Amino acid sequence: MRKQFKLGLSTMRWILVLSLTALAVSAQDAQLASRAAGVLEQRCIACHGPSLAQSGLRLDSSEAALKGGARGPALVAGNAAQSRLVQAIRRTGPLQMPPGPKLPDAEIAIIEQWITSGAAWPKNATVAAPAQTWWSLKKPVRPPVPAKDSWARTPIDAFISQKLIAEKLKPAREADRRTLARRAYLDLHGLPPTSEQIEKFAKDPAPDAYEKLIDELLASPRYGEKWGRHWLDLARYGDTGGFEQDPYLLYAWRYRDYVIDSFNNDKPYDRFVKEQIAGDELYPDDPPSMTGTGFYTVGPNRDMLFKVEDTNRAETLVDMVDTTGSVFLGLTVGCARCHDHKFDPIPQRDYMAIQAIFQNAEKTRVFLQYDPARTFDLQENARTAQLWEIADQFQALGASGGRGGRGAGAAGAAGAVGAAPAGGAAPPPPARSPEDEQKLKALEQRVLGMFRSIRPGPFAPGIHDIGRESPTKAYLPARSGRPPEPVPPGFLTALGGGKVPEPPVEATTSGGRTALANWIATKENPLFARVMVNRIWHFHFGRGLVATPSDLGHRAGLPSHPELLDWLATEFVDNGWSMKKLHKLIMTSSVYREASDVSKEANDHDADNLYLSHFNRRRLLPEEIRDTMLQSSGSLNLKMAGRPVVPEVAREELYGLSGNNMWQVTANLEEHKRRSVYMLSRRTFQPAMFASFDAPDGILSCSRRVESNTAPQSLTLLNGQWTMQEANRLADKLTGIADDAGLAEKAWQMVYARPPREDEVRTVKTFLERQTAELGNRKAAVIELGRVLYNTNEFLYVD
Amino acid sequence: MKPYLTRRELLNTAGRGFGGLALASMLEANTKNPLAPKPPHFPAKAKAVIHLFMHGGVSHVDTFDPKPLLNERNGQTISAEAAKGLKTSRIDFTKAPMRGSPWKFSKHGQSGMEISELYPGIASKADEITLIRSCYGDAFDHAPGMYLRHSGSQFPGRPSLGSWVAYGLGSENQNLPAFVVMSDGAMKSGPSVYSAGFLPAMYQGTVFRSGQYPVLNLANPKGVSDKAQRNSLDLIAELNQHHLESHPDGTELEARIASYELAFRMQSEAPEAVDLSKESEATKKMYGVGEPGTDDFGRKCLLARRLVERGVRFIQLYSGTNIGEDWDDAHTDLQTSHTKMCKKTDQPITALLTDLKARGMLDSTLVVWNSEFGRTPLSEGAKGRDHHPYAFSMWMAGAGIKGGQILGSSDEFGLRAQEMPVTVHDVNATILRLIGMDHTRLTYLYQSRDMRLTDVHGENEFTKLLVG
Repeated sequence: MRKQFKLGLSTMRWILVLSLTALAVSAQDAQLASRAAGVLEQRCIACHGPSLAQSGLRLDSSEAALKGGARGPALVAGNAAQSRLVQAIRRTGPLQMPPGPKLPDAEIAIIEQWITSGAAWPKNATVAAPAQTWWSLKKPVRPPVPAKDSWARTPIDAFISQKLIAEKLKPAREADRRTLARRAYLDLHGLPPTSEQIEKFAKDPAPDAYEKLIDELLASPRYGEKWGRHWLDLARYGDTGGFEQDPYLLYAWRYRDYVIDSFNNDKPYDRFVKEQIAGDELYPDDPPSMTGTGFYTVGPNRDMLFKVEDTNRAETLVDMVDTTGSVFLGLTVGCARCHDHKFDPIPQRDYMAIQAIFQNAEKTRVFLQYDPARTFDLQENARTAQLWEIADQFQALGASGGRGGRGAGAAGAAGAVGAAPAGGAAPPPPARSPEDEQKLKALEQRVLGMFRSIRPGPFAPGIHDIGRESPTKAYLPARSGRPPEPVPPGFLTALGGGKVPEPPVEATTSGGRTALANWIATKENPLFARVMVNRIWHFHFGRGLVATPSDLGHRAGLPSHPELLDWLATEFVDNGWSMKKLHKLIMTSSVYREASDVSKEANDHDADNLYLSHFNRRRLLPEEIRDTMLQSSGSLNLKMAGRPVVPEVAREELYGLSGNNMWQVTANLEEHKRRSVYMLSRRTFQPAMFASFDAPDGILSCSRRVESNTAPQSLTLLNGQWTMQEANRLADKLTGIADDAGLAEKAWQMVYARPPREDEVRTVKTFLERQTAELGNRKAAVIELGRVLYNTNEFLYVD
Repeated sequence: MKPYLTRRELLNTAGRGFGGLALASMLEANTKNPLAPKPPHFPAKAKAVIHLFMHGGVSHVDTFDPKPLLNERNGQTISAEAAKGLKTSRIDFTKAPMRGSPWKFSKHGQSGMEISELYPGIASKADEITLIRSCYGDAFDHAPGMYLRHSGSQFPGRPSLGSWVAYGLGSENQNLPAFVVMSDGAMKSGPSVYSAGFLPAMYQGTVFRSGQYPVLNLANPKGVSDKAQRNSLDLIAELNQHHLESHPDGTELEARIASYELAFRMQSEAPEAVDLSKESEATKKMYGVGEPGTDDFGRKCLLARRLVERGVRFIQLYSGTNIGEDWDDAHTDLQTSHTKMCKKTDQPITALLTDLKARGMLDSTLVVWNSEFGRTPLSEGAKGRDHHPYAFSMWMAGAGIKGGQILGSSDEFGLRAQEMPVTVHDVNATILRLIGMDHTRLTYLYQSRDMRLTDVHGENEFTKLLVG
């Protein structure tokens, strides 16, 4: 697939070299030289080129290669066997190059022939890594919109149509209104329309009924919950830190709410990103904007482990740089951590320049309201001191309780193979005098009183700058006798480079991240708008114009529709970085409204549907499966925001968690019915439905989810507690209906949002009879019907 | 992104209700099924792996790596130079006293391999195993150590060894998971240690539990009889079939239908696989089933053999739990913890080796005994030992590996790996090699990198010594 669009990278390189070798050497030698240059360039230049010159050796010009490095000349013209380069790549001596797998024999042969034939290398010619020539590193220029045909509604369609015609493909028919409504609702809300909502749309005679629907959907807070979840995938969001203790990141959810709000408020994308990179510096008087910096704190961390602070700090910096690069720039900057990037023009030095910017970023709490935050801290202090005192008194009364040792509790006894019963009966309480009993009661009351009204403080997670005087250098590691080299904060040379300016005299912070935010979140940055429009396209169509939304570098190849991508990117900028406008633009196009029928031509010639001759059917995400079941059974609680909810999961699912109390179920049962985006996202545990249906684990940024099909998924959906629970709730709404036809009607409306066909009514009748006979009562049979419907493809897929 | 069953041929056969179809064989023939058996890169020495993981940290100097000098210098501290650079969770290497082993070591087998009295059964298999005394790593806490030993990285998020193997080789049996996990419950790393990381979820370890239904959600929901379940499955199939008729291009829909068929097959085959009543009394007795102490791990080892027989590719067994009986209780009481944990595992592991050999399965099964780290040769408190990743032991057997050999060594105190230090990457590259996989070619494109279990590391002399 990717191959199809892969520009002949090597061809490009050869052209470059060939043009340089036109002089002085014979045609045959020139060809050999160009092929040798190709090998050198692909295999050697990253480390032995102008940016690194490891061991002092450069192989980018003939003078340099003949001069050699610390070990002497790299080649002896005319004598391959004597050439150190050949010995190294043949691995005949102690020096074995390149690191990693040996070069293919064919490539070794090219180098040998080239050296044997005299290592002809035209004067002044150099081999260079293909740097700023890559399409995504050049600023998008708004292309002219092709002429629209009768099918095309929007400029988007004009671009799509042009390719379809070129590929001899026809667009699918337009999807019917019911299908469109279901598609749009799930796409924007992550919830399907109810039958009333479908009816309303289907019967709306207005010529712009569909446009109105999109506007309505975009105006609903359900939109932020759905698209916020996409962003949380990218932000590798979680409510806990991971590892053995997997401790709570107490206020991570404020960042989650910030993201949802940002989408709902259609915060301009450039502002959204600036807040996340440097909200603390850029908007110090606006705490909600500063909450954006939570982006850098909601990932995994092991701060709670001791004696590894150095590793923790290093890994934190790595996470900051990698995530910044992949999410905002669509570049795998992280690949340049240990060496120059193998495919993209990102030297390790550039990686360190970005890392230097983050050197003085430190995790902190954002005060959402200053005075209440301070008061909260003071009260917390006082409370803690009181608790120490109370604990003394408890101990004096012989009622300290204690943890009961490492083996207390029973999470391990969830019925695994041979799980040993853990813990034991509590020892009988020691006898106490009535007086002491009274004291104990009073203490208990006091403790209760202290905690009765406790609430989270007005804090959000974030980062801040530890001050302009702090060191802000990163280091290129020592290598081959070369000492570590300090690298000042700066930007990627592939995108124009530049250094972070000295902060003004009055500044208290280094301003590094401010400079970075301004450098990234601008239309001047060739990648910034492209990356986001491609992501949004990806989520709408199931595949981006570039298939790898977090990598627009060389490995990504070319976009399927380069002009469309650039047109969208410039349009996005011109529309004030409004994501809602972009959604509407995309969703009102003809291509978005196509049916999901696959034509024979498409099946034969475009199996991956790169050219979008039809819509891509998709399966619901696990969050959508759960939310949709809740909605269809009439139990969904649409409360927004706040602390993560912990709904009940089957005890067997908790197997393997590192401790007890890791899944403290929320006391208020109404909370259990809230949307999945508000559910506790634990790094060491996912409920079975999430784990089996490919939910991201929150460890690394996730730009696209896998859609696998497995037996455990079916077992979870078929026999799992969540399905049964909603089937029960659905049955509660249905069992009052005595006649089967009426019951089928209601069930179909609730789950499929359509009336059943006659044959389906008959089927339901037979099924209910059979199941009532087998299970002994009608209610149980109706529950079974609900369970069946939740397991059907009509429920699980969106056309 | 594509579901795994996309062949149009399925259209005519799948989805017509359950049973009667040779679906499993079709699945095997289907190259798009990611769990279909795949040819190895090289001729494989083994087709299945049983990975016995002693979770919590086993003291090497009390089991497989005798250090008489520790007994001689019992109570003394080591030199500042020897302690340099060593740190661990609780003790200070410059202050904690050396501690001799309370257990006796003696030579075993033709090879004269020295193993302590803690593991008399395994000692009797000395000539079957290759012992490695020079393992080392740098993660001295459980969770990072567990992640490191399973995925090659101290951080979570990378696929476990078993997931890589399932991804690389697929499964011989489509009705059982390719990668089965049996543990004692609470993992110090949480379940992510046997997760598929960035590989698709189908490669994650499936926990087998006790009782008739080993797999989560394998049993019908409460109150639903088999017949009622059958009726419901039939209706799902019927409705899906109707739906498919109006979506004739729906290859992903067909795949989903097929996954119900697989689930159904798993529902019938998995309970049979874990039904130990088919085993003879003598076999059960050999594994210690029914005996207090050994019953639990004995069942797991016996199940492991049954699963290998049924084509399961990778079986991950854990001994020890974070909440309950734990090797890590050695922090405070080495003698009690190790006596108990060795007792729990010695007879079952010994029986597993005997049984596999008797059935002619040992040559095609790789058995690995492993731990996240060793324990300090120095004393923690009066009676304990702390975590020690700088030198520890592991062993392998089966897969045609030469028995009776000892590879590598630790220094005279068991502080550091000395001869032929062996990293987790060396171990993983070797395990892959033994099942026919080239660790440099077993890659998965993630974040635009061809990710490997061994990251950027390579095979070395160690691999050659083991693979031959």
